[in-house]
Amino acid sequence: MMNKNQRFILKTLLSSLIRRRSRIAIALLGVAIGATVLLGMVTLCYDIPRQMGQEFRSYGANLLLMPANNQPTMPMTEVKKAVSLLPQDKLLGVTPFRYDSIRSNQQPYTIVGTQFDQVINTSPYWKIEGEVPKNPNEIMIGTDIAHFAKLSIGSTMPISGKSKQNSRFDEELTITGIVKTGRAEDNFIFIELNDLETLLEENNQAEVVEISITATQDELQRYIQTIKDNSSYVEPHLIKWVTQSEASVLGKLSSLLYLVTLVVLILTMICVATTMMTVVMERRKEIGLKKAIGATNKSIAKEFLAEGLILGIVGGVIGVICGLIFAQVISANVFGRSIVIEFYLIPTTIIISAVVTIIACLIPVKRALEVEPALVLRGE
Amino acid sequence: MFRRMLLSVLVRQKKKLFLIALTVALGVSLATAMLNVMFDVGDKVNQELKAYGANLNIVPKGAALVNELYQLDNADTRAAIQYIKQDDLVKIKMIFWAYNIVDFAPYLTTQVTVNDKPVSLVGTWFNKHLTIPTGDEVDTGMLAMKSWWSIEGNTMKDDNLQGVMVGETIAKQLNLKLGDSLELISPLTNKKVTLTVNNIFHSGGIEDSQLYVSLPVAQNLANKDGLVERVEVSALTTPENDLARKAAQDPNSLSRTEWDTWYCTAYISSIAYQLEELMPDVRVKAIMQVAESEGSILQKTQLLMILLTVLSLICSALAISNLVTANVIERSTEIGLLKALGATNISVAMLILTEILIIALLGGMVGYFVGLGFAQIIGQTVFGSFVEPKMIIIPLVLIMVSMITLLGSLPALRIMMFLRPTDVLHGR
Amino acid sequence: MNMLEVNNVSKIYGSLHALSEVNLTVEEGKWLSIMGPSGSGKTTLMNIIGCMDKPSLGSVILDGQDITQLSLPQLTEIRRDKIGLIFQQFHLVSYLTALENVMVAQYYHSMVDEKEALQALERVGLAARAKHLPRQLSGGEQQRVCIARALINYPKLILADEPTGNLDESNEAMVMNLLHQLHEEGSTIIVVTHSPEVSKHAQTTVVLEHGKVASIINN
Repeated sequence: MMNKNQRFILKTLLSSLIRRRSRIAIALLGVAIGATVLLGMVTLCYDIPRQMGQEFRSYGANLLLMPANNQPTMPMTEVKKAVSLLPQDKLLGVTPFRYDSIRSNQQPYTIVGTQFDQVINTSPYWKIEGEVPKNPNEIMIGTDIAHFAKLSIGSTMPISGKSKQNSRFDEELTITGIVKTGRAEDNFIFIELNDLETLLEENNQAEVVEISITATQDELQRYIQTIKDNSSYVEPHLIKWVTQSEASVLGKLSSLLYLVTLVVLILTMICVATTMMTVVMERRKEIGLKKAIGATNKSIAKEFLAEGLILGIVGGVIGVICGLIFAQVISANVFGRSIVIEFYLIPTTIIISAVVTIIACLIPVKRALEVEPALVLRGE
Repeated sequence: MFRRMLLSVLVRQKKKLFLIALTVALGVSLATAMLNVMFDVGDKVNQELKAYGANLNIVPKGAALVNELYQLDNADTRAAIQYIKQDDLVKIKMIFWAYNIVDFAPYLTTQVTVNDKPVSLVGTWFNKHLTIPTGDEVDTGMLAMKSWWSIEGNTMKDDNLQGVMVGETIAKQLNLKLGDSLELISPLTNKKVTLTVNNIFHSGGIEDSQLYVSLPVAQNLANKDGLVERVEVSALTTPENDLARKAAQDPNSLSRTEWDTWYCTAYISSIAYQLEELMPDVRVKAIMQVAESEGSILQKTQLLMILLTVLSLICSALAISNLVTANVIERSTEIGLLKALGATNISVAMLILTEILIIALLGGMVGYFVGLGFAQIIGQTVFGSFVEPKMIIIPLVLIMVSMITLLGSLPALRIMMFLRPTDVLHGR
Repeated sequence: MNMLEVNNVSKIYGSLHALSEVNLTVEEGKWLSIMGPSGSGKTTLMNIIGCMDKPSLGSVILDGQDITQLSLPQLTEIRRDKIGLIFQQFHLVSYLTALENVMVAQYYHSMVDEKEALQALERVGLAARAKHLPRQLSGGEQQRVCIARALINYPKLILADEPTGNLDESNEAMVMNLLHQLHEEGSTIIVVTHSPEVSKHAQTTVVLEHGKVASIINN
């Protein structure tokens, strides 16, 4: 139970907060800005490397599965088993590939069997003119073949080859799309994997499987180890070209963000402190008077501490709300995704804003307390 | 009198005004740092993205088809049909966007046998010193473009004609260590050469089952003196937009002005076009995986920085105006007195605004230089390079400071207008 | 018994001698007034007596205790327990009501007691305005709140610095009347003023000039 004195001082505290509305509004605004920036920036700091990591997946696959033990192919059932070891929510795409040599009008070509619905996920950079094949007997060709053989969308291409059972096949295939990547794919003919396997008279085999997964290089190494430990058919490889470069660029971007956050935070905290100091400084007279009528330094400091605490917490709560909106707006605008909130940041932000507010309050209070009350009361 | 009052306030109220100046300085330094970094982040990240290596591939015109076809079929011994003259390579550094060409390296692949095993041998420049006819000198080569390779052993030199870089897979198969020697025989020319293992490298790609040697060694083995098969080019480019996409389809479809804009912008397609113009009988292909991703990441980063800058500008604006308001409220007695003495609202407002503006400009000036410092710290720590101060930021910041202090004074001025002298002078 | 003894007190700011060798004694229950023109050192003397400032030289003995030897926290304690202060500019806390302003003094002294605070306001004739904020009160009313606050802790010594400096005649009379009542109840009162009218109410008037005691008049 509170005694009369405690109740009285609580009441005066409330009076001070309510009757000095305009100044309190200023102080609150200051604290809220600080808390907004704090929570917003730190949340972004946490989330952006993750979000950027997703952006970096536009470079395509970062993990390869190849047949183990020098086998030419691996069964898709084993691939599925290996893939099931990976965290499914981070998996963007799993694309199997099969390569075979064929001839068309006496020219040798490489035909590639793949799953077109997955290719778009693992290789988002492919520039496809027209459409990917949807039906059997439809193919997509590389742009160099299109130039060389003077083929265009809609025209047909005769192909002939040998199945794995050594029987000959001849087909007339329709071109639905032309792909351009600037790399080897420009010289390939692409066909749905199932259709290729029908031609080859084989079932559910893959030579290479490309996987695109949101993960750091270290995480990838761990996944590779897990797959190695659990599968004797499949051998995982890191696509170092993608992962290493991603790690270095992402590292730079994160440290850029950390530094920017640090600078912004320091500056905003000082701004908050100066505002609080201005608001408290005008109460020098009040402090002098209280001292003159017998208040001890401790009791005055305690009053301001309580006031700073209330301001800090209320401002902190307002700031937390605004900060979450702030982070959300940036994330939605830049990445088109909603932000992941680290919940422990919310109480941390409120505590930090309370501490900063209290410190900023107590600096001018301490200076006012050091001065003899007579000097403060004498006038300006 | 106005001047005297102004001066006395400035001189005698130092402490309070110091806080305003400090806050303005902080706000301005934040704005300057963020704006400078924002304007520069594109170039900086672009540089960083060069870690992904080449974004352009130069191949001989007729050979475009056959040459890269069998990358995955190592067994194929087919050699490229057409070649690029080595002497033409300097032209890469003579195009309109020469300074955007960060690096390039020629390659010549030939098949050799080691212990009767067929292996691909690639001749290249590792870090070659070139003198361009325009008088410039450059160092260019493969090593700078393959930042993700982990290489064991001393750095390979171009004049090391006895050394070879061995891919990890081959090294395991042949049980090779650094310093071992191996004999290469070209089945096509029957030439023989004995080389020492200078490096063993791991790339994570098909290069791991290849041998890399200095270009003349490969040319000699393959009997292709002065010829290379393809060139990888790493160029700094501007992210693609609609114009660039239209041009990439067919440059001739552009109008005259569109064409000029496109030609004079560092789009990957215009750089490719200019390379084709200068080097006879080649095709320049953009490597989509690098070019497209670069563009998207660059845009995201820039958008992110722009948004962060705008939001931090808003925050510092609020903080400054908040403090100005606090300051004016604190001085309500003084203002009440001035009004009691017969000052009109306008004259009091003028006095206060002028005074705060002077302080803000002083603080802003200090803040600008502090902000430049912050930008440099960020540039140096993150990218290890200098952030170039942009002149455009000075007027931008100047306008910002004036607007913010004026706007920030508005609520305070409103309070002041409604202030009755009697309220203030009698028992506050 | 002497309530206050001021022995050879000097206060020196740099080269300025605000007070030099002032000697005073005030017996318990007496009313002393310190008079002098502006700059004569009367506020400095009052601050020293009120434990808000320390003399450069000399000693001050208040209620048998040498306050020049005390530390700052001890001075605060003396101020709280023995002295009631009345200011020319009232110095009320702007965001507290009249009643709460009185209660602040109780709070720092010991324990708040709303009834007693209300009685003190009644005594100065302000019971009806207890819930008003200082800005809603006239100057005289504010000064009366200030007096209520000064007497709430039954101080042995009431120190008033130009208590009527900001007031008109009728309010001045009211305030002086209150001081008379307190005096009759046995409080020792020291009033600092430049006005001969005000100083006439006192039993003894000390006239200060240039930091020195020029004359002592017994009314």
